[in-house]
Amino acid sequence: MMKHSLYTLLCAFSLLITSTAQATVLDIEEVTSPGGITAWLVQDDSVPVIAMDFGFKGAGSVQDPKGKQGLARMLSNTLDEGAGSLDGKEFQQALREKAISFGFSSGRDNFSGSLKTLTKNKERAFELAELALTKPRFDKEAVDRMREANLSRIKSSLADPGWKAARLLNDKAFADHPYALNSGGTLSSLQGITSKDLEKFHKRVIGKNNLYVAVAGDISAEELAETLDQIFGDLPDVELEPANDHEIKNQGTVFHYEDDIPQTVIEIMQPGIGRTAPEFQTAQVMNFILGSSGFGSRLTKEIRETRGLTYGIYSYFYSLDHLDGMAVSTSTANANVPEMLGLIKAEFERIKSEPVTDKELQSAKSYLVGSLPLSLTSTDKIAGLMNSLQLDGLPKDYLDTRNAEIEATTKEDVQALAEKLLDPAQFVTILVGKADGWEDQGLELQTIKTLPNVE
Amino acid sequence: MKRTFFKTLSLLALLVTVDSQLVHAQSLEAERPAIPEQKKEKGDKVFNAETFMLDNGLEVVVIPNSRAPVLTQMVWYKVGAADEPIGTSGIAHYLEHMLFKGSKQVGGRDLAPGEFSEIIRSMGGNDNAFTSQDYTAYFQSVPSEHLETVMRMEAGRMMEFVVPRDAFESERQVILEERRQRTDNDPRGQFGEQMAAAAYVNHPYSIPVIGWKHEMEVLSYEDAKGFFDKWYAPNNAILVVSGDVTPAEVFEKAIDIYGKIPKKDVPKRERPRSPELNSRTLVTLDHPAIKQAVVQTLFRVPSARQSLEDARALEVLEEIMAGGPSSRLYQSLVTKQKIASGAGLSYRSTSWDDGSVYVYATPLAGQTLRGVHQALMEELRLLIKDGVTEDELDSAKSTMSDKAIYARDSLTGPAMIIGLGLSTGEKIENIEHWPDEIAAVTVEDIQRVAETYLNPDKFTAHPPVSGYLLPQGAETGEE
Repeated sequence: MMKHSLYTLLCAFSLLITSTAQATVLDIEEVTSPGGITAWLVQDDSVPVIAMDFGFKGAGSVQDPKGKQGLARMLSNTLDEGAGSLDGKEFQQALREKAISFGFSSGRDNFSGSLKTLTKNKERAFELAELALTKPRFDKEAVDRMREANLSRIKSSLADPGWKAARLLNDKAFADHPYALNSGGTLSSLQGITSKDLEKFHKRVIGKNNLYVAVAGDISAEELAETLDQIFGDLPDVELEPANDHEIKNQGTVFHYEDDIPQTVIEIMQPGIGRTAPEFQTAQVMNFILGSSGFGSRLTKEIRETRGLTYGIYSYFYSLDHLDGMAVSTSTANANVPEMLGLIKAEFERIKSEPVTDKELQSAKSYLVGSLPLSLTSTDKIAGLMNSLQLDGLPKDYLDTRNAEIEATTKEDVQALAEKLLDPAQFVTILVGKADGWEDQGLELQTIKTLPNVE
Repeated sequence: MKRTFFKTLSLLALLVTVDSQLVHAQSLEAERPAIPEQKKEKGDKVFNAETFMLDNGLEVVVIPNSRAPVLTQMVWYKVGAADEPIGTSGIAHYLEHMLFKGSKQVGGRDLAPGEFSEIIRSMGGNDNAFTSQDYTAYFQSVPSEHLETVMRMEAGRMMEFVVPRDAFESERQVILEERRQRTDNDPRGQFGEQMAAAAYVNHPYSIPVIGWKHEMEVLSYEDAKGFFDKWYAPNNAILVVSGDVTPAEVFEKAIDIYGKIPKKDVPKRERPRSPELNSRTLVTLDHPAIKQAVVQTLFRVPSARQSLEDARALEVLEEIMAGGPSSRLYQSLVTKQKIASGAGLSYRSTSWDDGSVYVYATPLAGQTLRGVHQALMEELRLLIKDGVTEDELDSAKSTMSDKAIYARDSLTGPAMIIGLGLSTGEKIENIEHWPDEIAAVTVEDIQRVAETYLNPDKFTAHPPVSGYLLPQGAETGEE
């Protein structure tokens, strides 16, 4: 879950900031079509490539009806499997012939599409995108094939303890909310998903009124304006099922799923901080020092570098539209689990009880500010970044203004936020591995026998 | 997305060579724009890289790209796990980890454990490294004003092994945890190791890059230092810089900074060879954690270094057989016969010794492994018997040549492709003119390589190895 979903995007641009003193980071132009559809555009003809990312806000798996877990995912799998007069094979062949990269993905909150084409093939690319969005076929053959692919994916994932831990974490931390369900579907829910379901779901969630479009590359504003109407002009307005705001559940409990493997996968979650909170940027600085991925964070230093207890450990904010979490992800040999949990707690306590050093603060700021250009090195990265900003409701000049907040962050701010936010007593902890004297070392476990949302 | 951008890059990477056009240090000004005449005869180059060689034998490649004010520096050593002394499996990778735990700096003080990465992060940059059977590479992506600093640091790492002894033990635990994560925790990882062990008898590709656990447990500080002293040298490395730089500034700084490191006598890369074998091998792993069966067959085929002509034909063959859902294997096994949920073929050309072709499928519930395996082999027989059509060939070539254009749309991708090719013995001319070489492949070429290397019914000196990964107690089906 963590590695593939929204988190990647969130994390990618939580690292992007630039100095207000510098020129505009991204020269974003807002384009409005004659039909009233708007898009953000960054023109760049350095390579003959156009990338378009578009998202339907709120149309992700949170909209899956009861008993139909995986419907949004199945929609993402089938929209490019036949449309208009083209069946699945013909549609895919049309993409392949022109080396057009086109597909859909469903997150927990949003449903997204991504198109990349060479300039010379753009007409065909736009035509196929329009077809997929407005005239999808959902042929039974394609639906059956994609169902089988998803069943295989789930069965393959059962060999991956990290995947099992993610199922458990969602189920426990997000209990009593649609977020707790499996966005990839279950072995039984997928069986019940039909062409009819997909048609209805498509009509219900894919609309003009929840659409956000971002485009980068070799295309003019005028041409884009026409293209927007061509691709999206025929979409209806839609009304989504409302979802409720939610909090992290099962705080303070350690859940154990016994798996006969030598290394335990550990997932921890506690309440996080919202995108609109005034301390959001302070939280980015704090987390960079505490547990950002890559070498140099406190968790990596203490647990990997000094003690050799893991190959990887990192902490991150997991923010959804209706829920904010903060998580730690790692793994260690079974026997080390109690020691590892103690060390993670100790680092959470330390950053609360004493100020971070000047060097840590400076390094965090210079990384968070300085690494922005690294995420703007390709056409598709630029389109993807802009689309995530749009879906998060952030303004066009976000990249330009944000770093002033980072630069202004003090040690006191970091400590105050840490005191307010971090609390090991609120940890929901998931352990997937073979217990090895854990209870003798005072670890109280709640045992889970069956994986939720798989069968 | 049914195909990732990386797949595009790796396709390109299969090809490539470097060399003869390298300009020598002293004649920098006069000779830098290398390779002019071929440009006229052939199509555009994919990357427009410029190359240069220092007196101490370090190859330097620069790929200018001024899109964002950043650069990627990569140093590729032409040494990997397949060059390890017997009984010390995993030392190449362990050494790679150790080289973040203390190193020299050209024109600066020594760096303490962890300091290398801390400095890169404080620049707003990222760094890492990776090890394979044939190469070990270290890289940083940073704002372009830091070019000289990262060169001083990376050149310092090349100069001398100065890792403190007390940093050694804890890192052993890290690599053991890495092995657990990749392999010991996942039967699919163990299955992959055993397939390779069966296919590369007596050759070091039969040993996993991460190492066998029992050997990793006894690797010594001296093993790491010995491996460094033997193989890490400017004349056994390639420096690739891509991004917002000019070739002239990179060449000048490289002379200044990397040029200070003396060359070494580096041994020739000679690995033990596999004997001729005549047995059909089937690796079977049934495991309680496996719920989805997989069938695969591994063929040993030429790498690009061994035969450029065969490699190009195999790349086009790969696109026709497995270039997405409209290609042959998917259409036959998944769409028409409905016996598998996925099917494919993947060719790896970027290795120093033999390359590999994997043909694989995931059987649907109710299908036997043997049945699906036979269906895969039938597709190869059909390919050998009837070849491919001109239409299939033209369509594949057009797709591949378009994909080459995307490869430029990246900072690190081009450096990866070129480093990978050069470190496995390809030439930069072939990387740059990959689309022309693909365009020259004929239907006869494809049929020939299929007949020669992918024939399920006629054994070569290295017969294919098949593998069944299946749930515990499941039947494989009747022979």
